[in-house]
Amino acid sequence: MMAGMLCVLLCHTVAAAPTGAEGVLDLAGRARDPFARPAHVRVFIFLRADCPITNRYAPELTRIQHVFESQDIEFWLVYPDPQVTAQQIRSHLVQYGFPGQPLRDPQHELVKRAHAVTAPEAAVFDAAGTLVYHGRIDDLWVDAGRARPMARTHDLEDAIEDTLTGRAVRQPETRAVGCSLADVK
Amino acid sequence: MAAFFCLPLAAAPTFSHDIAPIVSQYCAPCHRPGEAGPFPLLTYRDVKSHATQIVDVTRRRFMPPWLPEPGYGEFKDERRLTAEQIQLIADWAAAGAPEGPPPEASSKDTPAPDFTEGWQLGPPDLILEAQRAYSMPASLPQGETDLYWNFIFTANIPAARWVRAIEIRPGDKRLVHHANLYVDRARSARAQEIAPGAGFPGMDPVIERSIYDPDDGAFLYWKPGGIPYSEPDGMAWRLDPGSDLVLNAHMQPSGKPEQVRPSIGLYFTDKPRQRFPMLLQLEHDGALNIPPGVRDFLVSDDFKLPMDVYVLAVYPHAHNLGHVLEAYATPPAEWNAPGGRKWLIRIPNWDRNWESVYRYENPVFLPKDTVISMRFHYDNSAANPRNPHDPPQRVRAGNKVSDEMGHLWLQVLPAGPRDRRLELEEAALRHKLEKYPKDARSHLHLGAIRLARMDAQGALAEFNTAVIFEPGNAEARNMAGSALASLGRVSDAMDQFRLALKLRPDYQNARYNLARALIKAGKSGEAVELFRQVVAAFPNDAQSHNGLGEVLFKQGKFDEARAEFDRAIAIDPAFDLAKKNRALALARAGKP
Repeated sequence: MMAGMLCVLLCHTVAAAPTGAEGVLDLAGRARDPFARPAHVRVFIFLRADCPITNRYAPELTRIQHVFESQDIEFWLVYPDPQVTAQQIRSHLVQYGFPGQPLRDPQHELVKRAHAVTAPEAAVFDAAGTLVYHGRIDDLWVDAGRARPMARTHDLEDAIEDTLTGRAVRQPETRAVGCSLADVK
Repeated sequence: MAAFFCLPLAAAPTFSHDIAPIVSQYCAPCHRPGEAGPFPLLTYRDVKSHATQIVDVTRRRFMPPWLPEPGYGEFKDERRLTAEQIQLIADWAAAGAPEGPPPEASSKDTPAPDFTEGWQLGPPDLILEAQRAYSMPASLPQGETDLYWNFIFTANIPAARWVRAIEIRPGDKRLVHHANLYVDRARSARAQEIAPGAGFPGMDPVIERSIYDPDDGAFLYWKPGGIPYSEPDGMAWRLDPGSDLVLNAHMQPSGKPEQVRPSIGLYFTDKPRQRFPMLLQLEHDGALNIPPGVRDFLVSDDFKLPMDVYVLAVYPHAHNLGHVLEAYATPPAEWNAPGGRKWLIRIPNWDRNWESVYRYENPVFLPKDTVISMRFHYDNSAANPRNPHDPPQRVRAGNKVSDEMGHLWLQVLPAGPRDRRLELEEAALRHKLEKYPKDARSHLHLGAIRLARMDAQGALAEFNTAVIFEPGNAEARNMAGSALASLGRVSDAMDQFRLALKLRPDYQNARYNLARALIKAGKSGEAVELFRQVVAAFPNDAQSHNGLGEVLFKQGKFDEARAEFDRAIAIDPAFDLAKKNRALALARAGKP
């Protein structure tokens, strides 16, 4: 048990280093490290193309990206499903217009690093590569199938804003509603 | 049940053996390409990749969608998992969602369901397509979660037909949540279109019902899953040439722009209607005035049946704040019903998105003097996540989604062979007037029924009452005129018709009535002019051509008269009166 915990700690420390996310690929199949280039803020959105809640967030994500257009922010769209092909991802992006650069994460490396469990789920990293937020985009969905008439909190937008201005994120962790990422491991 | 728990611990459930049969029966009908589900659930991989979600939505009974509580009415096509099935799914997912070996072939195996492609009832006799697709945006403005759009179809049939079934193809089943179809004989919905052929928005469209037109008595709708409904033998409904059909489609955005273009398949029969069901409505929207923050606001209505009936189907309808919806029947004491009450339906957790018509497994017999009760509970507190207002606001009855509504519709079939709709309608109207004594339309309607029962004096009283409450109501004037005409008070009748035309200059029915009255009064010249106006407005109306022909005949213009009778017969080959008139006109024209 202790050895296991030690391993977890060590492994976690290694993964937290700003370099190296080896199983992560671009759509051409080349290894791609989203932490390689310096950036003030990095936003990862974890997606499943077969998830209706994910798809319904496309317009809102586009809006959020517009809000921060002139800032030093990178938006990444992460597809953890090992079964989904690059062609399917391209088609998905064209249809829905999600903002950002696509990545495939078949070994769930980014998923683990971001503590993501759901699609859609957002994760925000600061300039040092530290995870400062992960969870829902907003609180529109109560559970799968029940949406409020209007979102009352805009968690992703707030987290980005906080990080840009050097404040601590007001709520670093929230529960996202959608489709499980563990089901596509 | 006891046997189940006494079994020794079995191996974990597998997909092939335990889960596939459940999914294929309860999920796959919608969760397959071309159907309503947003992702397929046909293969092991499909189901495994959504395992966590499936456990969650089945445990909460969000899926399969089925709102009625068991034990409160028995309905056809019940789509509900047992507690054991839900647990089995959870156990399977907890064990890592194993596939398991394929089941051995055995006589006990349920074969995979055979899904019919294309029109479920076979090729329709007539297909109507929406003139224009509706362009659904990727997302809706803040505060709007869904969208209702009304598509209008015109029945371009040469003669009236009896419809035994319809299949609605919503155009994109992933986007259209459900749809209701209304027959619009008066073509009143066209006036609401944003552009010709483009349809119009609105959750509960107002379809003008002509007072003389009895309800068709059928629920026409589409909801995900299931096979389109065929009316029972003898219960086909009539579709007239030129009638419009209005499809009210409830849609939700998908995240990308979409095109929705519905179509309707109609299936005809030569067997005319022989049984006469009616749609009965319980409501008390007038009392629906919910203060903000109230957690349990009750809307009630009770209606006493004037005759024995069978209840065939039920359709409860409310908007966002509806919470617990109940309907039950209390037969008269001598029937000794256990507990004094027969449940018609109980929905403990109303969800507007999954509203549906529910058809009873067996028709529910209710004897004369049974009281049908509606009890709808509403939650206008902040704790209700579906509250359209944050913070909560006072909500009243209305047609918008953010308004509220409480309607309990029942399809009832009076017992016995006769058509007893007028009696039932009359009882329903009297009940309505108890709730809304100043409702001019109900007075009008009651008057129309009286007129149909040859009680012109009683009808006149109702029309005059309607006029008191709504002086600008042209229809009340027109109908008062009809009552007066049948009482022989032709001059008074003409005054009313003229008043109706003054209030509404394009009121062709009033014009037609005035023309007939003028003929009676011996003023055929004026009548001809009026009839020409009616025919110009309704060139495809056989009655109008016949009427014009009759007036011309009276003026001795036999050739012109015959030409009009010809037109009438061309439009309606079964128009016996026009044929007789034509023969007479021919005979008279032949004389030197």
